[in-house]
Amino acid sequence: MKKIVVLFMVILMTFSFVSCTNDTKQEETAANVEPNQENTEGKSEDVNMTIAVNAEIISLDPHNLSDTLSGSAADTMYESLYDYKLDMSLEPVLATGYSVSEDGLEYTFNIREGVTFHDGTELNAEAVKYNFDRVMDEEKNLRRRRNFLYVNSTEVIDEYTILIKLDSPFAPMINRIASLSVISPTALEEYGDQGILTNPVGTGPYTFEEWTPGDKMVVRANPNYWKEGPKIDTLTFKPVTENGARIAMLQTGEADYIYPMPTEQVKTVESDENIKVIEGPSTIARFTFLNMTKDIFSDVKVRQAINHAINKEAYAKVVKSGYAVPLTSHVPTTIEYQSPQPEYEYNVEKAKELMKEAGYPDGFATHIWAPNDTENMKGMQFISQQLAEIGIDVEVIPMEEGTLSDSIYSPQTPEESEVNMWYVSWSAFDIDGATTRLFHSSNIPPTSPNVSYYMSDEADKLMDAGATEVDPVKRAEIYAELQEVIWNDAPWIFLGSDVLLSAKRATTEGIFVDPSGGIIATEASTTK
Amino acid sequence: MKQYVLKRLLNIIPIMLVVSIIVFMFIHLIPGDPARIVAGQKATLEEIEIMREKLGLNDPYIVQYKNFMVGVFSGNWGTSIKSNLPVWNVIVPRIKPTLILAIFSIIWSVVAGISMGVISAIKRGKLIDYIVMVGATSGISVPLFWLGLMLMQIFSVKLGWFPTTGVDSFSSYVLPSITLGAGITAMIARYTRSSMIEILKENYIRTSRAKGLHEFMVINKHALRNSLVDVITIVGLQFGFLLAGSVLVETVFAIPGLGRLLIDSILFRDYTVVQTVLLIFTFQFIIINLIVDVLYGIANPKIRYE
Repeated sequence: MKKIVVLFMVILMTFSFVSCTNDTKQEETAANVEPNQENTEGKSEDVNMTIAVNAEIISLDPHNLSDTLSGSAADTMYESLYDYKLDMSLEPVLATGYSVSEDGLEYTFNIREGVTFHDGTELNAEAVKYNFDRVMDEEKNLRRRRNFLYVNSTEVIDEYTILIKLDSPFAPMINRIASLSVISPTALEEYGDQGILTNPVGTGPYTFEEWTPGDKMVVRANPNYWKEGPKIDTLTFKPVTENGARIAMLQTGEADYIYPMPTEQVKTVESDENIKVIEGPSTIARFTFLNMTKDIFSDVKVRQAINHAINKEAYAKVVKSGYAVPLTSHVPTTIEYQSPQPEYEYNVEKAKELMKEAGYPDGFATHIWAPNDTENMKGMQFISQQLAEIGIDVEVIPMEEGTLSDSIYSPQTPEESEVNMWYVSWSAFDIDGATTRLFHSSNIPPTSPNVSYYMSDEADKLMDAGATEVDPVKRAEIYAELQEVIWNDAPWIFLGSDVLLSAKRATTEGIFVDPSGGIIATEASTTK
Repeated sequence: MKQYVLKRLLNIIPIMLVVSIIVFMFIHLIPGDPARIVAGQKATLEEIEIMREKLGLNDPYIVQYKNFMVGVFSGNWGTSIKSNLPVWNVIVPRIKPTLILAIFSIIWSVVAGISMGVISAIKRGKLIDYIVMVGATSGISVPLFWLGLMLMQIFSVKLGWFPTTGVDSFSSYVLPSITLGAGITAMIARYTRSSMIEILKENYIRTSRAKGLHEFMVINKHALRNSLVDVITIVGLQFGFLLAGSVLVETVFAIPGLGRLLIDSILFRDYTVVQTVLLIFTFQFIIINLIVDVLYGIANPKIRYE
């Protein structure tokens, strides 16, 4: 025993005496091997592309996910009856068309013929019904169930026709249908609800190759895709949370596309001709809830004064590095039925005047909540500084996210609620999703995030009417009126809507980021 | 010695039980409702209620703890709240990257750290001593993510020697382990140096030199070996920390390791994963401590076990 230890020590020492100089040599040899490896990899016939993203893929079950990135990853393999195009309009995918009954209660969809799932199963009305039944199952409580609460039943009419019956008319139904990806029923039977997570089988442009939770997901081009698909062999989604590392990957060409592109680093890559930065509009609204049950925010004049006291251009510059546009309604312009309102121009004098009229000539003290990361801190500090100009003393209170969520949702009544201002963002596909949860009086905490405790009969009526009106022209009128009411009542500080930044290698084609932040790579190709 | 090890191994059981209670209490006492966080901002109240019921979050703490322990002993560690995958499927792929990173880092830190320490102890007060110690101090003070990003810019982007991120080949581990080991190298160098300096003043060193022993033997056989006890303590402790994963290095180099898993799971209030990961960490810390204690005796036979 003792001898072995001595031997070990001696080896260690001889090693260590030379190691100071040797250390670097070892690295060099290791380094020399590397480019060769890359060369051989490059010679293989596969064309591989990599998208580096800033978060992990949480789930690949398209019926049971709630984050955009997991949605993007699942969408490489799955498709729905209808889907959004880049401009947020809907196009038929696995359906060829649909019709709605006069009372708005029955939707009939024609299913595309000749489409097969990756496992060979044929797409037909039965398969679609199977998916509806799964997502609507209360027992399973999948996350997408919330989009189909109005659906009463589904019925197979013939091989390629399915009828969907609603309990009550629900105008955004077609938008919600778009959120239902169709999974192969055979695969669901075989793998079960948990197994399908790691064995995705859809009809999409890519088939599943591998996924290590927490690390990369690889998909391969589907040779039997029913329309024109990707012109590459494999596509990899790789989570790289550190901004600097994501940029480095793009610089070396290890990544062909990165999203999001960190706003503060745009200048560093601008001179690099191999890299192109892409800007696009978003469905993300950034705002601050003003709790209207608190005395200080109960007067509409105070809330309007606050909106006049905030310089939205400066907000975009200071907090979002210039990558935001002012909100012109409570929903961004990317949302259908958005109707722009007259702006709350930046005018400190007018704001002071309104504060005086409301009985607060010297302002008051309040506080603002948000998560404790850098960008949210910046946003809160900006609001605090701007409101100081009109005498409102805003204490910035950053919180860990779970704690914040508890503080918002555990109070059972408005009286118990302690929140004054909450700096937050919201993103939705349709105007109902971007409105009802945030403004309807039935959606105050703990039910939903109407944290302004905005309770207006007028707005409630309009929201209900908009959700059930099937005629698009009448619907547009209702929503225009609703947006005016909300805008004038100013239950929020209307701040801005994000501009989405992504970046690609100059050789990359066919990869896009849609306004909701989803990555679309159906027709990915590269000239590298 | 065998008896000692056996006794220590048996001790693990009560320790783990106590730790499991503490871990359980901590994660349930921090505010935040996993059902709401996992369901997302847009979830309906009904959806959250059903989820809470399903996850057993409405049960009294005692019942929840009992279920957790029953699960542990029956081998059913549960399902990750966040991803809906079995806990072990989430954790197991994370162990390898962290383990490789920890081993690489510790090897180069021990080799470089001890040599730097020995050299500067022998050349105490000379230029080389100052250079090494300045290097060591910077190694401790430099922020890990900065060092990581600098190395990445130089060796990956400019020179193209190593991949920027990931764990696809062994060369991917070079930059992360240099980054991770920098601080530990510095620490080992400083401990070795101070301990060597003390020992080189001892009488028996003078004796060995007086009897004409070669300087190499004096340093290696007598001085270094006696100064190793301190170093082993440091290495053991640091290795324990490394196995718990370095969140910063794992984040910078996009390494899917245990450290990042733990942080992400805490943010998500993914109770089942947090509990299991923390129990694993505790267990490996106990084992490493035991190994360190045994190594003491080998480095210094004067230490006896009872």
